[in-house]
Amino acid sequence: MGGSMFVAPEINYVALLPMIIVFVGGLVGVTVEGFASRRTRYAVQVPLSVATLVLALVALILLGQDNQGLTAADTVALDGVALTLQGLVLVLSILGLLAMSERFGGDQPDAFTQSGVSTPGSAEETLATKVGATTTEIYPLTLMSVGGMMLFVAANDLLLLFVALEILSLPLYVLSGLARRRRLLSQEASLKYFLLGSFSSAFYLFGAVLLYGYAGSMRFADIAAAITSGVGMDGLLVPGVLLVAVGLLFKVGAVPFHAWTPDVYQGAPTPVTGFMAACTKVAAFGAMLRVLYVAVEGARLEWQPVIAVVAALSMVVGALLSIVQTDVKRILAYSSIAHAGFILTGVVALDVAGVSSTMFYLATYGFMTIPAFAIVALVRSAGTEATLVDQWAGLGRRSPWIAACFTFLLMALAGIPLTSGFTGKFAVFSAAVSQGWAWLAVIGVLASAVTAYIYFTLVVQMWLGDEAGDTVVVRPSWMTSVAILVGVAMTLALGIMPSPVLDLAQSTAAFLR
Amino acid sequence: MVLTFIGMHLLAAVLAGPLVRTLGRRGFAVLALVPAGTAAWVATALLGPVRVERTGWVGELGLELSFRLDTLAVVMSLIVSGIGALVLLYCAAYIDPRSTAGSPRLLGGALVGFAGAMLGLVTTDDLLLLYVFWEITTILSYLLVGYLTTSAVSTRAARQALLVTAAGGLTMLVGLVLLGEGAGTYRISELVAGPGASGAAVAWGVGLLLVGAVTKSALVPFHFWLPGAMAAPTPVSAYLHAAAMVKAGVYLVARFAPGYADLPVWQVMVLVLGSATMLLGGFRATRQTDLKLLLAYGTVSQLGMLVLLVGYGSEAAALAGLTLLVGHALFKSSLFLATGAIDHATGTRDIRRLHGVGRAAPWLALAGVLAAMSMAGLPVLIGFVGKEAALAALLEPAPGWLSLQGVAAASFVAGSVLTVAYSLRYVVGAFGPGSPGGGSAPGAGSGAHSWHAPGPLLVGIPLALALGGLALGVTSTALEEVLARHTSTVSLLPGPEVHLGLWHGLSLPLLVSVCVWVLGALWWWRTRDPERATAPLVRVDAGRAYDRLMRGVDRAALESTGFLSRGSLPVLLGTIFVVLLVLPGLQLALGGTTWPSRLRLADSAAQVAVALLVIAAAVLATRARRRLRAVFLVGVTGYGCAMLFLLHGAPDLALTQILVETVSLVVLVLVLRRLSGRFPDDPSVLTRRLRAALGAGVGLVVGLLAVVATSSRIHEPAGAGLPERSVDYGAGKNIVNVILVDIRAWDTMGELSVVLACATGVASLVWLREEALEGVRKGLRSARGARAGWRARPVPTDTGSLPTSRWIAVADRLDPERRSVILEIVTRMVFHTILLWSVYLLLAGHNQPGGGFAAGIVAGLALCLRFLAGRGYELGAALPVMPAAVLGTGLFIAAGSAVIPMLLGSPALRTWDAYLTIPLVGEVHLVTSLLFDLGVYLVVIGLMLDVLRSLGSGLDAQIATERETAGRGTR
Repeated sequence: MGGSMFVAPEINYVALLPMIIVFVGGLVGVTVEGFASRRTRYAVQVPLSVATLVLALVALILLGQDNQGLTAADTVALDGVALTLQGLVLVLSILGLLAMSERFGGDQPDAFTQSGVSTPGSAEETLATKVGATTTEIYPLTLMSVGGMMLFVAANDLLLLFVALEILSLPLYVLSGLARRRRLLSQEASLKYFLLGSFSSAFYLFGAVLLYGYAGSMRFADIAAAITSGVGMDGLLVPGVLLVAVGLLFKVGAVPFHAWTPDVYQGAPTPVTGFMAACTKVAAFGAMLRVLYVAVEGARLEWQPVIAVVAALSMVVGALLSIVQTDVKRILAYSSIAHAGFILTGVVALDVAGVSSTMFYLATYGFMTIPAFAIVALVRSAGTEATLVDQWAGLGRRSPWIAACFTFLLMALAGIPLTSGFTGKFAVFSAAVSQGWAWLAVIGVLASAVTAYIYFTLVVQMWLGDEAGDTVVVRPSWMTSVAILVGVAMTLALGIMPSPVLDLAQSTAAFLR
Repeated sequence: MVLTFIGMHLLAAVLAGPLVRTLGRRGFAVLALVPAGTAAWVATALLGPVRVERTGWVGELGLELSFRLDTLAVVMSLIVSGIGALVLLYCAAYIDPRSTAGSPRLLGGALVGFAGAMLGLVTTDDLLLLYVFWEITTILSYLLVGYLTTSAVSTRAARQALLVTAAGGLTMLVGLVLLGEGAGTYRISELVAGPGASGAAVAWGVGLLLVGAVTKSALVPFHFWLPGAMAAPTPVSAYLHAAAMVKAGVYLVARFAPGYADLPVWQVMVLVLGSATMLLGGFRATRQTDLKLLLAYGTVSQLGMLVLLVGYGSEAAALAGLTLLVGHALFKSSLFLATGAIDHATGTRDIRRLHGVGRAAPWLALAGVLAAMSMAGLPVLIGFVGKEAALAALLEPAPGWLSLQGVAAASFVAGSVLTVAYSLRYVVGAFGPGSPGGGSAPGAGSGAHSWHAPGPLLVGIPLALALGGLALGVTSTALEEVLARHTSTVSLLPGPEVHLGLWHGLSLPLLVSVCVWVLGALWWWRTRDPERATAPLVRVDAGRAYDRLMRGVDRAALESTGFLSRGSLPVLLGTIFVVLLVLPGLQLALGGTTWPSRLRLADSAAQVAVALLVIAAAVLATRARRRLRAVFLVGVTGYGCAMLFLLHGAPDLALTQILVETVSLVVLVLVLRRLSGRFPDDPSVLTRRLRAALGAGVGLVVGLLAVVATSSRIHEPAGAGLPERSVDYGAGKNIVNVILVDIRAWDTMGELSVVLACATGVASLVWLREEALEGVRKGLRSARGARAGWRARPVPTDTGSLPTSRWIAVADRLDPERRSVILEIVTRMVFHTILLWSVYLLLAGHNQPGGGFAAGIVAGLALCLRFLAGRGYELGAALPVMPAAVLGTGLFIAAGSAVIPMLLGSPALRTWDAYLTIPLVGEVHLVTSLLFDLGVYLVVIGLMLDVLRSLGSGLDAQIATERETAGRGTR
């Protein structure tokens, strides 16, 4: 130990401004929760949160370009990848937040319970409903989570990555448990997500410690340097990499760490599921790209086969298991598992095309998932969400526009040409093929065929099935409509004219090391 | 231009809805203008040079909108657009707009869209664009085949067609990518013209590509979807199965034949499947009683023949194939449309019920007969010209008759015989006099549907198409001039020189043709009776195999879902553990791990003993079925760890560990009151053994990792030099404490805030409601009163009872049955001693074992004792403040001690020390970080108080309330 004094690191606050805005917005939201009256909270929180996200996005666009670089003692890397993914997280979270705010003419966000901590069916719950309690804490929680996601894709240090992981995860655990209807399911989802998430985080930490032991540093650049020069402690390297990967693979819901996905996607409030599915994937894959491409790229021979097998398993299991699902939300959950596999196919490629195709796929997936879940939230039967496939029968005749949007999104999820799903799949598969992973692409295509089957069953039910008794489509307010329309429009645009976004992804696909 | 025309199709498809709604079925005639215009434009390119159009689409992915109008593309476009226009026109007379079975608007849009997609498919020069159009046709075919939305048969057929062709399309995509990547280009023209390809990747690519063609063109073993798809309205069948969809597969084979026809995989697939399909389809067609099904199986047979010819690889076969392709498009659409007219007029398509149609509708009969003659290959129609050319091309197989080519030639002849037979069956069945029992009026035998003469469009269009076949037959020399421009590029295999024409002299092909006609007529004569039962040719039914496959997939998914996603937390967790076990475990076992050369197992016998104790406790804990026992045994492992610390010479660590362990135990026991005594699940012996093995495995891996990690140290330990520095900078000899309050004081500060937040969180979960909190405050006020009273007044005695001793403050408020005098006495005696000890630990902690954290926990344990002796009341009396106040004060002091050095111009949390001599006590070493430690102390006490109050008295109150409600309920 040298006797050198601790030197305060240089921090480029301008570059960090978008994240700072989001975190400050979250804190202001907490304050509003404390001081605003019940009646006014919703009216304050919604504009506040949306404005925060928009402001952060504006800051990112205006300042990001010229303030790239490593900062905060090289623990934060604001490079093209980080900025692009941060922007994507922001855009998607704006859509997600709008969908969450849907009230359907009521006084509070429709999907959320009025007293999260009370036992379902208890006196406390009744009381909370009677006095008109609101669950506007979802706004600061969401903002915090978004801030964590933005940090997650920029973290250049294992410890900071962990901090970001927890910042983004903890609010999600809470949000998952706040569904207004089927609350026990929701609370079970929250608990499962939390317990399994904690375990994965523990594995991540264990892996990070092993890597620290290996390289003597948590910085990605130092780890990469240690791998290149070889420090003679290889026994720690590979277990460390694999355990870190476990933590990240859990977040994206890849097989065999996928088991929480269906339960949590089903139990969580539907708009939260959409937000979670879209934004968490972006953040987690962003972090995974950075860890794998920057920090441990030198050990690729050890981890590439593992990731490839995980990708293949995710695609196959996600596709096969979705066949027998009878619940729309669970179908989408298994589809998200399969999509995690598709994205991993791009990650495995390990070249610039791998990065750009992964980022592009994340964008396409995000823009099709949020509106899909927003639509699920609209289909009601007897006051609750009608998520059974049978209940969707004949929806096309009753609400042709909503059914048409959903059909289109399903086609995108299946990867039919002229939707973004096709261009995205094409991008990741061609990246994988060009690096010699053709067998993965083949499995991917076959898995797509299987998923297409289940989507078409759903489409057939919607358009050709006998009308189900009391299923109705609630008329959405402008907020849900915007979320759906923007998502559908982006899905179409990325399918027909993907060039601008692909250009962006390719021009920003280089990591700062 | 091609792009413009495709765009017009798209526009027409979008506008079809409003158009058909306002104009009724006449809207179809308007829609027909788009393909008609396209056909007219394409026709101008027939004899000109090859037109190439390229527009960038997604340059980043190598996707380009490139179109190439060579002869093959032009001929296909003419077929697609020309017949498309005629079919749409036919719809204008055929579709019943009042029918509720399907939506005519959807039909119009889908048909025009389909024509557009087919146009793109046959003109594009880009592999991926080809796939895009391919899939669009697949989806639109689903809408078209499933047009009758109320019919289960129709829906099922549509889904079957979709699944088969979409799966084939995806397979084809893999093949396209393999070919494109292998050749480094995605341009079809460059790919086909490129140097002779070979290698496994190309073979695979070609094989997968052909799977796409085989599924789309309904070749064996995927032929079953096509007859099923006859559930569609007849014009749709005419278009899809004569001109458009199924021709896509033939087109694909024709397109790639110049490049790959000599590959073995190509030869085997094209010739074997083509031959088999031709025979199977033909045989089935001779046994159908439904005109449409007859035509459907006939189509299957013809598709096999076309694929065989265009994929054969010689120039002559290609010429014959293209001629027949054109011919088939004309006669098959004519036959389908004529059948539609019959259906429209009589209400049936069953040849057992039809009679006299030929007499009643002579023009229609003319169309049908001409088209059937073309199909059978009778002169002077185009079918005859094509068949002659094909026979000439095939009858002298270059490798001899005992080869694939020989088999193909034989099958072709046999298939032609069957074609003649089913052509006759069609003509006689549709237009013949019918069974003798029929009435005099034409139409269905039962007369359920009254005959009405088909309109001019319904007759005129089939007739025009049939006459087209006649015209082309007569002018076949001119046709050859056009087609030769493409067929001259097919030169991979040698073949005889063949020309189109009606008369080549008395040649072998003509001789064979005559034999074919005679044999075909004989076959028809033997099978002419439509009432005769038909036995299947082969037992294996591809359609049933498809059903079984689909059921199998469903089943597999159900089983694996049941196996993989039970939603059970132990299983989920187990999965994660297995991964941990397998991945790093295997790496440890197989990877190049450097194991320590020497491993020191223990320093003393005591360590071994403690380790054994810990292991035994851990094993017993997993076996415990009672919660309490499990909690205690887990506690034992913790205490064992503390003992190990102690034996290793770390008393401060050991002290902290013991205290933390004790607090955890107390908290767990408090919480356990709300849970059942035993673990509710009762896993089987096998499950328990598996879990035990998993647990042991994970422990082993983690332990080994620890061994490897510690033994592979090459860096200097982080703790080196810390002892000196802790004295120099922190003025303390207890390194742990110095780290906490000085070196890493910021971390401690953060942790204090976290502790505070957690405590508040736990409390707010237990004290849900404002009223409950108010109750606590009231309780505290009364506790303060009790405290004061305890000191001031003597023990009040109830008259007549024994004098109650008051060892604790609130003894009079306790249920006498639940009091424990011994505990009260012990509490009374040791409480203050323990508190004093905690203060000592706080003060001495900087140099001796102890410190704010340990001291706080000790004080907390003292409070715990008071709680156990007298419940919440006693706790209130012991420390009659809200936990939040203690927590807040603690954090305030800690933060203040951080700020004070800053006021003096030093960095935050800077430590000074001084020695004070206090009378009686002696010299005291005062360190400013003690103030910070005091903050820690208070926060820990606050936390303990919070925990006891929430989980102790809070749960007490809940239990009491529940008991009360339960009591009221029973009453």
